[in-house]
Amino acid sequence: MNVVSPIGRILDMLPITVFIILFFYLSINSTNFLSLPTFELILKQAVPTIILSLGLATVIIAGGDDVVSGGIDLSIPAVAIICAAIVANQVTNHQTSLLWGLSLAFVAAGIVGGLNAVLVVWLRMTPLLATLATSVAVVGVTKVITESRRIGISDPTIIFLRDGDIFDIAAGIVLTVFVALVFWHLVHRTKWGMNLQATGGSRDAAKVSGIPTDHFVVASFMLSALAGWITSSFVLARGSGSSPGSEETLLLEMVLATFLGAAFSPRRVVTLWGAVLGAVLVSALSVGFISIGVNVFWTGCIKGTLILLVVASAAAGRDR
Amino acid sequence: MKNILARYGFIIIITAFFIFFSLYNPAFFTIGNQINMIEGSAVLLILALGMTLVVAMGGIDLSVGIAFDMGAAFAVVALKEYDVSWQLACLVGVLGGVLVGVLNAVLIVGLKVSPFMATLGTFFIGSSIQRIFTNGGGPISYRRMPKEYRDLAVGDIYGVPTEIVIATVVLIIYFIFLERSILGKRLHAMGLQRSAANVAGIPVRRYMFLALIIASATCAIGGLIGSANIRMFTPLAGFSYLLDAIAAVFIGASIHSKGRPNVVGTLIGVLFLGMIGNGLNLMGLNFNLKDALSGLILVGALALAVGQKRLR
Repeated sequence: MNVVSPIGRILDMLPITVFIILFFYLSINSTNFLSLPTFELILKQAVPTIILSLGLATVIIAGGDDVVSGGIDLSIPAVAIICAAIVANQVTNHQTSLLWGLSLAFVAAGIVGGLNAVLVVWLRMTPLLATLATSVAVVGVTKVITESRRIGISDPTIIFLRDGDIFDIAAGIVLTVFVALVFWHLVHRTKWGMNLQATGGSRDAAKVSGIPTDHFVVASFMLSALAGWITSSFVLARGSGSSPGSEETLLLEMVLATFLGAAFSPRRVVTLWGAVLGAVLVSALSVGFISIGVNVFWTGCIKGTLILLVVASAAAGRDR
Repeated sequence: MKNILARYGFIIIITAFFIFFSLYNPAFFTIGNQINMIEGSAVLLILALGMTLVVAMGGIDLSVGIAFDMGAAFAVVALKEYDVSWQLACLVGVLGGVLVGVLNAVLIVGLKVSPFMATLGTFFIGSSIQRIFTNGGGPISYRRMPKEYRDLAVGDIYGVPTEIVIATVVLIIYFIFLERSILGKRLHAMGLQRSAANVAGIPVRRYMFLALIIASATCAIGGLIGSANIRMFTPLAGFSYLLDAIAAVFIGASIHSKGRPNVVGTLIGVLFLGMIGNGLNLMGLNFNLKDALSGLILVGALALAVGQKRLR
């Protein structure tokens, strides 16, 4: 039997303790921090990161959690941005319907997902490298579409995603919960999802068991591209249009949220709910620091330090 | 045919691009432009060599740009605010890179954080520090920097541009260190099978600690040249080298007979990327289209390099 020492227990609890102390501090110093409107604001801010992180978590679950040799998809934010650019360009510059713009964007997302799958599955390229390279190409094509300019959008459906309510809850939050539930059901509650997890758990064992592992890796990249496509509508809603260059921030927040979520999981592995929790915590930190008047330039530094602290304590926990 | 493609596929593509650019614009083939192209690749080569070292021992370094920035920032501030000699400024700049390397080493070796997350954290913290220090990201300009410091980028030694000389010296040192020394073989062994290397008696943790510091210090040398070139420190300028450095290392690894990151392969990768950038510039394409094309060529080149490895 494994006996966990008191120090071990403390280290195990460290990630969550750090966040509890931080939230306690923020709520003392900002009277509004623990209010319902702030909580809603945190969730609304977290929406794009949550959906991107769900896509990334799916790829990691299917490919294994070794960042370099396992599954990773760094091109999801670039997919979101190119889809946003296509929709804004179609609706605003070519006066087409939103549905047509979304359909074109869907095809574009499918092409990027397919390209990633070909590079990783067929050519056996490291996912990190393949998706990083795809991301650069996609960002380049986005610049051609937008001519590196912001394209505003005033479609009522996009405005509804930003300002609308469903059952008195912000529409973005409700739809994100729905997307998260669909991903959760697919990955955790279906036979297909179990096979996907088996593929990431041990590719060789899954193959021996007769699971077509390549099929699941391809599917995970298509699902992550789908997550990018869904995110694009929320990116458009948040910025009232498509803005060039926003993929870098989304990329960092997505990676942080997903791996931060792993630090909170009992087995220290990437999970869908961990990714959602990570995205909400990253958003809460941003909102919290702004509410107590921390210089915005310090926020990145504090966030980076905290996240390293959490990941380091998780690494220490894994070692014991 | 398959054998030829397996052995020389990537070289054939490089040659094809070279001929295409030469035919499209005769200015591409001139000696002056070729020297410009190599000079323009010098800083990337230095950063890519730092990355090669880290990837060879099984890691990845997303903070090469931060080490570049710290090298530039420390040196420019030392020159401007403390009026130090240019040699001391260079030393201080490299020290800036060493600090980044120490942070990475403490996180990866000491705290056992994965290299990806550790260097991503360093990237976050380093970017933020630069924004805080420059109050939002404004450059620190120093027009009256000593001529010798400025010459790191624009001077020449017996007619050869100084940055090419510096990059060549770094290249030779890395080649001897990584490809021809026992230490280099041990680092490669760590990258291939860390636990086996550990069992074989290689002091894995100590080597990794030192290699991470050396890699960041090397990137800081790139920062010195970058700041000398534009006579200022521009926050977050190093970020633009990150993907190219990773791509060059992986192109180099893909054309290696055993698929290992290696110094000569990285050089070929860097020159290929430099050639594409230079050739597309000379085609006079729209800036946005040039970015899109170079991204697509990068994907194609990597796919080909990896495909070539599979054919063997």
